[in-house]
Amino acid sequence: MRVINTRFNLKYDNVDEYGFMRPENFDYERYEKFMSSYLVILVNRSKKWDKLMKKGKRLQRGLVLKRYVKKGIPSSYRAQVWMKISGANELQIHQESDLYNTRLNSVLDSDVVQAIRTDLPRTFPDNIYFIPLEGSQEQLYRILFAYAADNKNVGYCQGLNYIAGLLLLVTKDEEISFWLLKVLVDNILPDYYSRKMTGLMIDIEVFARLTKSKMPDLYRHVKSLNIPWSLLIMKWFVCLYAEVFPTETVLRIWDCLFYEHSPILFKVGITLINYFRKTLLGCDNFTSFIEVFKKMPLDIFVLDCHYFMKRVNSENKSITNALLQKLRKEIKSEKKNYELNQLP
Amino acid sequence: MSNRTVSQRPNGQNQGKICQFKLVLLGESAVGKSSLVLRFVKGQFHEFQESTIGAAFLTQTVCLDDTTVKFEIWDTAGQERYHSLAPMYYRGAQAAIVVYDITNQDTFGRAKTWVKELQRQASPNIVIALAGNKTDLANKRSVEYEEASQYAEENALLFMETSAKTAMNVNDIFLAIAKKLPKNDGNVGNGLTSPGSRRLGDADGGSRMSSGCCK
Repeated sequence: MRVINTRFNLKYDNVDEYGFMRPENFDYERYEKFMSSYLVILVNRSKKWDKLMKKGKRLQRGLVLKRYVKKGIPSSYRAQVWMKISGANELQIHQESDLYNTRLNSVLDSDVVQAIRTDLPRTFPDNIYFIPLEGSQEQLYRILFAYAADNKNVGYCQGLNYIAGLLLLVTKDEEISFWLLKVLVDNILPDYYSRKMTGLMIDIEVFARLTKSKMPDLYRHVKSLNIPWSLLIMKWFVCLYAEVFPTETVLRIWDCLFYEHSPILFKVGITLINYFRKTLLGCDNFTSFIEVFKKMPLDIFVLDCHYFMKRVNSENKSITNALLQKLRKEIKSEKKNYELNQLP
Repeated sequence: MSNRTVSQRPNGQNQGKICQFKLVLLGESAVGKSSLVLRFVKGQFHEFQESTIGAAFLTQTVCLDDTTVKFEIWDTAGQERYHSLAPMYYRGAQAAIVVYDITNQDTFGRAKTWVKELQRQASPNIVIALAGNKTDLANKRSVEYEEASQYAEENALLFMETSAKTAMNVNDIFLAIAKKLPKNDGNVGNGLTSPGSRRLGDADGGSRMSSGCCK
């Protein structure tokens, strides 16, 4: 979200609650208007969650919890609830004790260590918690190191720095961030970050096909402009919208991601493109299309996370895990000896 | 120092012809690909430039005598595992800048690998420039100018040492590429892109150079 590098000259209102600089040309007036109504919603949701958390603490999966999650998890409960609904708690219980510290003490290939080190100062450089000597960089290093040691098949993939970094900002806890990162990469997302990134490339193709069925005119337009889908949406999927969308919107998406897994990633992208469909169709050349596309995530439509998520969840009910599995399977069998560069 | 040689954003006042070229940046992670682009396109530099995920697309225009050259710049991710995406970005490119970091010998080795790949798989007429970036860190230099210069000569590459931080040779390298690109009638256009001008899936880049990038 960074536009200008003014991190040494901060005013509170330049920075969001997670320490991110607001973008240049940020529409404070409209944001305040949105926040005045969103704060009421937050207070209301918070009360409901208080009751829910007091009641069982087991957070049974079901319609109630699903509805609660879709409407947003209060920031004070996020770490705890994410751990539960994602299965990270379960994972932690069934692993050897103190896996995190064991991994921290393992030996890692120097190339991997170097790759992580290189990206540390380049992760959220304008976030006030990530400025050097603020400690978050070293915590982030340890999370990424531990994960790379835990899953040598993945090691370190650029993009994980943003995910782990945001997890750390939200949970304020290294070990919890490690477990959430682990459950995301190992269980929730299908092979996005391994050496060949096959699962990611398949999901980009799945996204293209969903666009084709939901917005055939737009799909044809993208095709006629010769724009590869990976150029358009790869970062969305690699970073799970972190470093793309405003922070609160990303966290609302992650609330759903930890609960329902992949469908939310597709629903979000489709909803956003659909909202800008006419504008995009009006772009008659490659450059103008990309320019509009790049600006979409900064629109007030996305910033108003509550309304945005309402639209996301109501418009795309047909996108389910079952549908995604079916499409992934189709694509895999169509392109057996799959090479990344044959993909969209 | 080089800013004066490039006049940017002609705002359509230029009466000459307009050419449009696709240019791709390749090179190891953290050598400064995005920083070179940011310097060239926006005149800015960030000490800690965020790592590029996948690829980024930007445009910039330079003026060469009576010709306006519009670069469509594809800035790619450097990490090895994003490598397999690269063909999608260099296919159909008329120019490439292969970047290495003068303080890191490994990145020079990686640059050579990129050059080989381009020579083998990109369009045969592609103009390749080699950029030894981070000359502001000359006290940590590990790749000698002569070594890179000789390699560039042997492979018929444009070569410059650059610094995205100080802006040294940044505009110059783009300008040198612009000068080297063929500005025959086939490349002249109205600045708008027609679908035929950029066939990414088209492996036959060579014939397209002669048939023109802009119609």
